[in-house]
Amino acid sequence: MLTRDQLLALLSDLESDRVERTVSTNARDKFGEAVCAFANDLPGYGKPGYLLIGVANDGTVSGLTVTDEMLTNLGGLRSEGKILPPPVLHIAKFSLDGGDVAVVEVQPSDLPPVRYNGRVWIRVGPRKAVATEREERILSERRVAMARSFDARPCQEATLDDLALGQFDAYRRVAVDAETIAANHRPLEQQLASLRFFDPNRQCPTHAGILLFGTNPRFFLPGAYVQYLRMPGTELTDIPEDQAEISGDLLSVLKELELRVRLVVQTRMRSVSPLQEQLTPNYPEQALRELLLNAVMHRNYDSNTPIRFYVFADHVEIQSPGGLYGEATRANFPHQNSYRNPVLAEAMKALGYVNRFGYGIERAQALLRQNGNPPAAFEFDERNFLVVIKQAAP
Amino acid sequence: MTSLVFFNNKGGVGKTVLVYHLAWMYASLGIRTLAVDLDPQANLTSMFLDEAALEDLWPDGEHPGTLYGAIKPILRGRGDIAPPTAYTVGEALHLLPGDLGLSGFEDKLSDAWPKCHNKDEAAFRVTTAFYRIIEQVAADVRAEITLIDIGPNLGAINRSALLAVDAICVPLAPDLFSLQGLKNLGPTLQDWREAWHDMRKKAPADLPVPDGKFKPLGYVVMQHGFRESRPVKAYKRWMDRIPATYQEYILGKQARRLPSLDMDPNCLAILKHYRSLMPMAMEANKPMFSLKPSDGAIGSHVEAVKKCFDDFDRLARRIANKTDIMLF
Repeated sequence: MLTRDQLLALLSDLESDRVERTVSTNARDKFGEAVCAFANDLPGYGKPGYLLIGVANDGTVSGLTVTDEMLTNLGGLRSEGKILPPPVLHIAKFSLDGGDVAVVEVQPSDLPPVRYNGRVWIRVGPRKAVATEREERILSERRVAMARSFDARPCQEATLDDLALGQFDAYRRVAVDAETIAANHRPLEQQLASLRFFDPNRQCPTHAGILLFGTNPRFFLPGAYVQYLRMPGTELTDIPEDQAEISGDLLSVLKELELRVRLVVQTRMRSVSPLQEQLTPNYPEQALRELLLNAVMHRNYDSNTPIRFYVFADHVEIQSPGGLYGEATRANFPHQNSYRNPVLAEAMKALGYVNRFGYGIERAQALLRQNGNPPAAFEFDERNFLVVIKQAAP
Repeated sequence: MTSLVFFNNKGGVGKTVLVYHLAWMYASLGIRTLAVDLDPQANLTSMFLDEAALEDLWPDGEHPGTLYGAIKPILRGRGDIAPPTAYTVGEALHLLPGDLGLSGFEDKLSDAWPKCHNKDEAAFRVTTAFYRIIEQVAADVRAEITLIDIGPNLGAINRSALLAVDAICVPLAPDLFSLQGLKNLGPTLQDWREAWHDMRKKAPADLPVPDGKFKPLGYVVMQHGFRESRPVKAYKRWMDRIPATYQEYILGKQARRLPSLDMDPNCLAILKHYRSLMPMAMEANKPMFSLKPSDGAIGSHVEAVKKCFDDFDRLARRIANKTDIMLF
């Protein structure tokens, strides 16, 4: 984050196009667009951009009072999932002589193009605008060169023929703003590339492309499936009652998981008074869903191990390859989140499986508590992540 | 703040669905929206809230979080309205929940109406209760638009509700009953307007009273009731009659040259039956146009969701255009 002196310098530097000044405090869409534009960094500065709230166009401080509520709202820009893939933001408040200034620092994204509500915003000098097809292409090509996440990297053995393109078309209608689609004339490769599913330089799909739309993802990523087991007792050594390898494109996997979760959840009638009965499920369906989705979203797809979804008589275990990632550590878990698979996270948000980012585990714990289950227990090391969910007491 | 009511004395035309979706649409367009459920059946409230939330709102006894809680002191004759609270549904969307207990207010309102002629202050307080409650809640949540759902009848609750609004939209279906309903509705609205116009001069000076203009904004044709089995010809005939009937009975103008339905400036929208989207939306507890693949909207549904979004977006902009709502 910048220092007070740097901020003062930015206030007076009216030429810089890495700064957007505004006096309005509730123009959420405008803020979102500005953050999106800085994250895209079309001019290629490789430096952060700044949204300054409480500063007039001529650089004078407008006398704003920055409240906690306002800072929280600004923080929402990162977790609401309207800006995809999620940008890296820092938010701070500075009290200057003429009033407060709220500063949003936006790091350039590793995975451009970044979209706000399905549109790609960029900086054009001191203003912002929606990117043209050509500008979007520049961004897509730049991204591949510096992509760090496994899901955005090219899957070199694969070709366009390995993708089910009908699925992609349906996804695109959900993820991209309708006007952009209507005005679109670009070839299929570029449509795929602009959503990070294709590497235009190597002319092959990315791992995310294979995971989302592959006709057979396991051919390229042998561990990309969910091993489902249903045990009669509490031991893994018994003979399973049911087992399945759930694989295929992401949407099919998620649909199938939903059906399995419904089978696991059993609702009992319990009398709470002589006249009243209450329906109690053994597990809250939403909590199981959240924790499974977490495994699908955050697992390491580079590994040959599947996600293990084991259902025992008294508990459920979900184990996924890959320990805590990035900024998430043993000390700050689950309050700090980090994206091993940002492209996948974006897709799950666009498809509606994820509503906000960074709340999954807390939400699951709250649902378990309301339903009378013990809290979910987490175990993790360098390579594995395990969640154990115990049944509610009857 | 602009307030709008959706009103037709013919029931079952999909009025509540319309209010619910428009409220979400305005909120998504960044307009701070307040939805008010003045229908004693409280269908709108149960669309917005799931069962657990409803149980919290409607415990036995006191209902401080609903409209009923706000009018209760008046109902018991123990004073004026209580401060009402709105329920926060979304970022820019609030709901003033309805209540089954509201029906008990009907008689009180019927009683009060003629007494207003005698400069009876209590009667004025009763008659303008909805107006004052809504104004207060709208100010609390800084609403830019208020959308009100009322029941399908010409009773006292609805008469009092109309006093609270700037404009009326008439949802209707292309059938005999809807058109017949329009013929009753127009003259009744006119009677109510005139009566209030006389009465409000007699109101106590310190009481804020509405002007009671409730201007007709136009109609929305809902194809919800349209059944496959009915001959298309009959359906078309009813569609053709709508513009003339609306102009004659609601606007009180003799219709000379009549536009066709799709050219009629009074026609705000013709909304299709979205078929399987509606049950899916009820299940997911969200509007049809926000359905995602995770809610089951896959394949051809994706396109239908998009069409539904466009329809409501157009309707919202149309209404904004005819009122003083600023949209960008």
